[in-house]
Amino acid sequence: MEGITKSFLGVPVLKGVDFDLKRGEAHVLIGENGAGKSTLMKILSGAYSRDSGTIVVDGAKLATLTPRTAEDAGIISIYQNFHLFPHLSVAENLAISRFARERKLIRWKETFARAKEALARIDFGIDLRAKVGDLPVAQKQMLEIALALSKNAKILIMDEPTAALSSRETETLFKTIADLKKSGVGVIYISHRLEEIKQIGDRVTVLRDGVTVGTLPVSAADPSTVIPMMIGRELQPTARDLAARDGGRRVLELRNLSCPGSFRDVSLTLFQGEVLGLTGLVGAGKTEVAQVLFGVRQAAEGEILMDGKEVSIDSPRTANRFGLGYLPEDRDARGLCLNMGVQENITLVSLTQQAHGFLDPRWERRMAEKAVSSLNIRTPSLAQQVKYLSGGNKQKVMFAKWLSARCRVLILDEPTFGIDAGARAEIYSLIDDFAHAQKKAVLFISSDIDEVLAVTDRIHVMAGGKLIAQASPRETTKQEILRMCMQGTRNREG
Amino acid sequence: MEQASVTKARSISQQVGMVASLAKNQVLSMLLILILTWIVLAFLSPYFFTVRNLFEITLQSSVFAIIAAGETFVIFSGGIDLSVGSVFAFSSIVGGIFYAATGSVFLAVVTCLATGIAAGIVNGLFISSLNVPPFVATLGMMGIARGAALIAVNGIPIYGLSPTFMWIGQGQVAGLIPVPTIIMAAIFVLAYLVLNYSRFGRFTYAIGSNLESARLSGVSVAGITLGIYALSGMTAALAGIIESARLGTVQPAGGSGYELLAIGAVVIGGTSLFGGEGNIIGTLIGALLVTTIRNGLNILGVYAFWQYVVNGLIIVLAVAIDQVKNRR
Repeated sequence: MEGITKSFLGVPVLKGVDFDLKRGEAHVLIGENGAGKSTLMKILSGAYSRDSGTIVVDGAKLATLTPRTAEDAGIISIYQNFHLFPHLSVAENLAISRFARERKLIRWKETFARAKEALARIDFGIDLRAKVGDLPVAQKQMLEIALALSKNAKILIMDEPTAALSSRETETLFKTIADLKKSGVGVIYISHRLEEIKQIGDRVTVLRDGVTVGTLPVSAADPSTVIPMMIGRELQPTARDLAARDGGRRVLELRNLSCPGSFRDVSLTLFQGEVLGLTGLVGAGKTEVAQVLFGVRQAAEGEILMDGKEVSIDSPRTANRFGLGYLPEDRDARGLCLNMGVQENITLVSLTQQAHGFLDPRWERRMAEKAVSSLNIRTPSLAQQVKYLSGGNKQKVMFAKWLSARCRVLILDEPTFGIDAGARAEIYSLIDDFAHAQKKAVLFISSDIDEVLAVTDRIHVMAGGKLIAQASPRETTKQEILRMCMQGTRNREG
Repeated sequence: MEQASVTKARSISQQVGMVASLAKNQVLSMLLILILTWIVLAFLSPYFFTVRNLFEITLQSSVFAIIAAGETFVIFSGGIDLSVGSVFAFSSIVGGIFYAATGSVFLAVVTCLATGIAAGIVNGLFISSLNVPPFVATLGMMGIARGAALIAVNGIPIYGLSPTFMWIGQGQVAGLIPVPTIIMAAIFVLAYLVLNYSRFGRFTYAIGSNLESARLSGVSVAGITLGIYALSGMTAALAGIIESARLGTVQPAGGSGYELLAIGAVVIGGTSLFGGEGNIIGTLIGALLVTTIRNGLNILGVYAFWQYVVNGLIIVLAVAIDQVKNRR
């Protein structure tokens, strides 16, 4: 792959990436969240089209790649999120791509024979008639791998394949990868876990901000060399003037909160007048903590305290009553009513708190006008449907609806995701004003370590569903936090 | 130079915006189609464009237009209520039984409306608390309410409604305006106010636009859903009273197929079947349009069974047009 570029909605994600893979090699691709790893692999497997650049497989240039032509060229992907059919059996899943191609009647005997063979290749014993939807995650992962192998892969792309696997299953997977290498298959392996890279990789390529930083043999890929490459220029810790915490008043406390399958034993305290950062890699369990706090999902164990008193938050409505506000990660799907106007979105939360059931158009207009001007929301009118706003302005509308409802604690989940630099700065200053000037509190969840360092007063690091470390943004570095994120991500004991 | 091009670009975008909003404004385009239909029919039949016939159209519309008013809330919120035709029958049977026992029109009306509301609440409970999809929950209620109506009277219609009762369906105000027309107008004014000036209406909109974000904003989704289906049950029951009064009998088999007429009127009026988009005035125009076409076909002597075909075509076309517009 040479000079691959790709932009989404004008935002360049890949800015000329070069990547090569030898026969029988395992090439590890590493980089921060958002460095462009997954995008690059989706281009190679035909899921996205590239803007420019060339892809050559076995000396032949591949012009336009679709998932089908990529598969024909022997490029097979194993995705993080599964592409299996939950309602079909194991055997049917293993045979489905052939069903689509051959358009014949299904021959069950052959289907089962093929499925058995595919599973035998990775030494994976499972009931062929089991419904895939009922399988645990790890078995689905193994099945996904078996499926990929049954398609005669020449190039196999694996994106964090061990994230859900136990150590025994991981071992089996590594053995399989070693066998594949011997039989001449090239493996592209995306991972954050430096220790496992050493076990299976031959070369490591580091990607940062959509460019290739460098490729080195795996023997040279120590954390001390790789992490600086991932980060680039070491940023000076932002010397921010930390206002003294207001008498240490505890606004919100979590005690030993657990939610099976998402996180375990999370305890943290949010003080008045501070921004508390919660960071970690994708899948560390940060979002789930926010969801439990806001009553979207229920914790199995543990307590939530507000102002020192234990509270039970069983729905967003209750959370709202306690003065919590939540800006979810996925703005369009969960944060906004896209069909509705700017004004209607801004007043929605306040309306739920209103004592009577009538609408007062003047009251609504005043509230919306105030929010639009104080948050500098750029919209042609208050009636403009929110779906036509830019990402930054959508995010500001979400802020506006909670700020107008006078909430005391804001839970922000990736509040600057997909937002341009200008709007980002505005959102940072909003957060600063809310927590530090107005003496409220913010739980700031983000996997962008730079921004966590820049915006927060204290940092908690999460990995594999647990809080593993605390840090002060003035005393730590990005390198240190990234190391914590990556090393904390161990296999779950299986 | 630059200034001029900016201004020009802006005026072009304004023009594009206006054309788009005109096309988007289904109410206006449906109103135009309605008037056009009237003009065409007026040329085809001298009888059509008479004051009497125009009021006749509103009278014929009133029953399922009132059902459609409640259905608008349901569809606006992203749901669907298939049970309205059966709830219509069951409620009026309950009202009729009370009337036959007591002779009180007031009691008949109250019990009828209460039955409709109760059926709606059952729908709402299944949908919001037990997560049964609206299509399934109301399909079940469609069967249950119909069966209950037939069982309650052994399939035999209730006769002998008093002139007072029948005035609701047959009376005229000022010797010209049918009472059902007036009830219909009142319902639509009310529905308009609720939809646009009450919190309930706004939350209905929010749920239809994005249920998850409405929930996260603290909207009591379960409560609003219950209210929406209760409202739909109530309007179905009210329509049942009017039809019983018009016919002078209460029919346990009445109202079958009205759910399609009502949903058709809502959809033709520009309310999206996917929720979060729509308006009540459009529903009224939709109901009038459906009736006008039926009325016109009648006057022109088209075989009555063809009306079902025409109805079906209108519904499918209305949704297809909506889809094409949204794709752009």
